Amino acid sequence: MKPNVNLETDRDANDVIDRILEAEGELIPSSGFLAATMERVRDEAAIPKPIPFPWLRALPGIVLAVAVLGWCGFELARVVLANARENSFAQVHLTAATGRALEPAEWVVLALAASMLSWFFARRLAGRSGLL
Amino acid sequence: MVLRFREECFQEMHAAISAEEDPADVNRVLAGDVQAFEGIVRRWQGPLVNMAWRYCRDRGRAEEMAQEAFLRAWRGLAGWRRESSFSTWLFALAANVFRSELQRFPTVNVSLEEAAEPAGPATQHEGLARKQSDETVRRAVLALPTRYREPVVLYYFHEMDVAAAARTMGLPEGTVKARLARGRDLLRKRFPHLNEQSTPPLSSTPRPKKEVLQ
Repeated sequence: MKPNVNLETDRDANDVIDRILEAEGELIPSSGFLAATMERVRDEAAIPKPIPFPWLRALPGIVLAVAVLGWCGFELARVVLANARENSFAQVHLTAATGRALEPAEWVVLALAASMLSWFFARRLAGRSGLL
Repeated sequence: MVLRFREECFQEMHAAISAEEDPADVNRVLAGDVQAFEGIVRRWQGPLVNMAWRYCRDRGRAEEMAQEAFLRAWRGLAGWRRESSFSTWLFALAANVFRSELQRFPTVNVSLEEAAEPAGPATQHEGLARKQSDETVRRAVLALPTRYREPVVLYYFHEMDVAAAARTMGLPEGTVKARLARGRDLLRKRFPHLNEQSTPPLSSTPRPKKEVLQ
């Protein structure tokens, strides 16, 4: 059932709502509000600004990492595609066996080099920003 | 009437002074003078605490929220583009802070249907009954759905100025008007006795409206 709409009554009620909600008493902030707020602001101002990340210095490392990851991805895709094309279990076994034989020396050297590089870059960045 | 006129003159004068002082203080703060922010807090603490109070109706929490708004203002002072007045920027920032604070820790509210029925005129002291009844209606605003609550809160905070409320919320005026009308509609339905109270008491004659809303 549709309610009885009485525009005149609604307008009167709106006036009453206006009167009630507008005639809200003024709240005076407590006496310590200003001091407490300024104390928090001063505390905030005293905190040293965070050191921005040195993007320029980190750029070579980022490029190197992206290049290494890209190369790894490319190699992986190449091996997988080659295996899929030949579709031979024997080849897969052979590749795995050959890979296992060749893996240690190359990969250990590469991992060591990567570790050394990252250690060197980290020290260099920390040293320049005065942390060390 | 004379008192109201004086009050309005004072407010206009205060606004004019503030319009000059705010940018100057902001410039000083941005140049590294932390103390200059005190002027901003001193001028705007009243409005911000009152605005927060209308959002939560809890004095302690209102002050905490206003303080948080000042801190955010401090952090983001460089973000004031000066296309709008400082007060517009500050109120919009404060409204965002209050909204997110109340989303994180909502006020304990009853639903609109459960809001207490105001005392009737049969109460012994009519003035007191009217006061209680008015307070119940004000508290019921907090029980309105969020999308209608904020336009109602801000419209009355800005002394019934739809444009100012819309600027603070960052919404088109039409949207604010529609939500405001819906909010008042809900209040009217919840408190049918308001229809019978069309004669306001002499002590609280409503101010002339800047805009008539239906």
